[in-house]
Amino acid sequence: MKMEFEPVIGLEVHAELSTETKIYCGCKNEFGGEVNSHCCEICTGMPGTLPTLNSRVVDYAIKMGHALHCKINNVCKQDRKNYFYPDLPKAYQISQADIPLCEHGYVDVLLDESCHSKRIGVTRIHIEEDAGKLLHDESFLGSLIDFNRCGVPLIEIVSEPDMRSSEEAKAYLETIKGILGYLDISDCKMQEGSIRCDVNVSLRPKGSEKFGNRCEMKNVNSFSGAQRAIEYEIKRQSEILGKGGTVSQETRRWDDAKGQSFPMRSKENADDYRYFPEPDLGTIVVSPEHVEELRAQIPELPGEKLQRYVKKCGLAYFDANLLCENVEKYTFFERVIEIGGCSLQAAANWLNGDVTRLLGERMTTLFATCLTPEKLIGMLRLIEGGQISNTAGKTVIEEIMFTEKTAEEVVKEKELMQINDTGALEKTVREVIEKNGKVVADYRGGKSNALGFLVGQCMRASGGKANPAAVREILLKQLG
Amino acid sequence: MKIDLEKVAQLARLKIEPEKREMFERQLQSIVEMVEKLPQMEEAYVGVDPAHPMQLREDTVRPSLRREAILANAPQTQAGCVVVPKTVE
Repeated sequence: MKMEFEPVIGLEVHAELSTETKIYCGCKNEFGGEVNSHCCEICTGMPGTLPTLNSRVVDYAIKMGHALHCKINNVCKQDRKNYFYPDLPKAYQISQADIPLCEHGYVDVLLDESCHSKRIGVTRIHIEEDAGKLLHDESFLGSLIDFNRCGVPLIEIVSEPDMRSSEEAKAYLETIKGILGYLDISDCKMQEGSIRCDVNVSLRPKGSEKFGNRCEMKNVNSFSGAQRAIEYEIKRQSEILGKGGTVSQETRRWDDAKGQSFPMRSKENADDYRYFPEPDLGTIVVSPEHVEELRAQIPELPGEKLQRYVKKCGLAYFDANLLCENVEKYTFFERVIEIGGCSLQAAANWLNGDVTRLLGERMTTLFATCLTPEKLIGMLRLIEGGQISNTAGKTVIEEIMFTEKTAEEVVKEKELMQINDTGALEKTVREVIEKNGKVVADYRGGKSNALGFLVGQCMRASGGKANPAAVREILLKQLG
Repeated sequence: MKIDLEKVAQLARLKIEPEKREMFERQLQSIVEMVEKLPQMEEAYVGVDPAHPMQLREDTVRPSLRREAILANAPQTQAGCVVVPKTVE
């Protein structure tokens, strides 16, 4: 009998914090600056210099700790992690070893559209500095080093090994990213490397409580890459175990282009960092009052918002999710909820549909337009009241987004009032039936979807002003 | 505690001449023995001193050094960067 294995997955997420300056010096923390232009004696590790810890780094890390329900160690320290690599000019990274700023937390991750969730433990969150960036060029024998990223503040968020599939891991990563975005403490730009992750995977026989030997994978640069790396590793390890072999505990490098992981050289694998308390920095002490002040600044987080939109506002998961991903859209939508007086699902449909499309076409953002929650609600009420059709709404939305006019003004000016006058509609329908003999024949021959086409033709003939429900009724009557 | 000279040297990227090996081993061993004689630290000690908290820095940008100054000490530079041995495999 083939043995069934259960994957056990833990993740380490590194997120760059969007502070103004670096963690230990006043150099600008900015991605994409000219190479080696945001550097000083401190971040390039010149002898005789001393670091000073950026207070905002501590605040941001504590906020993330609160968001992930952690215990905050308001008295803690930093430690020196020693290793040699060309991107690390001091030959050590200032990090935190035995007392992280935050620990023992959790996050509830939504797994499906019915809002089923799973609680993933958060072991710890600590602060540390990023390393420089190595640039490689085929035409050149050596590598080049840009120190701009040296000393960029990072938080490392370590999860418990609580995930059991690559999908759960991806959902966890998306959740963490969403929270970082809502707290506005990281740019969360994967392509710029502002969030990176290391993946730990092991396998064990289903039902077993004991963990198997785990492999850590480095160099995972995207969330989809993490998912691929996990799936690859599950397959690789189950093949080994299936043949009765043993998985060796090691660090592997993920090559996303090849879709494979490779063991890292044993030297790189040394993992003997000889941590010791950082002698250049003192004790971090954050007053309990300040810890609470930071707690009070935590907004409603994306998972909670999403569930509220689905459960309380009755939105479809898909639409709720789209709204929650965009700060302007959900801020706008919150006002729509407050004011009320229209279908919230309809408001979500317009925001995610035509409004988003028009924003894309005009390369602008919601708050840069003239659209207000009041104006959108005004238009939705005209549609819901039958005064204008949904089709006419498409004209109205563009006008109210890019001019100061209200929906009522646009409707009046463009004469978009829905035609409910049966006499006028009957005339339009008669003309459409006459012009579309073949389609009418199809319909009568049993092609029921031909009716939709005829309704569309009538709507077009009326300039979008006809009431589609009335048109349909009259069509059915006239077609007999 | 016995010192593994080879490992310590490898971690610190130090080259030890074979004829000096014994000397270093002896010296390091005596340092370790001295440290071992130090009174045991209290169990409560966790490396923090809350009575003397460190002053944190405001998150305000200060001018960085000019790039020429940063690169001045580098043995080799190219395209505004320091040249290091190739790291990619």
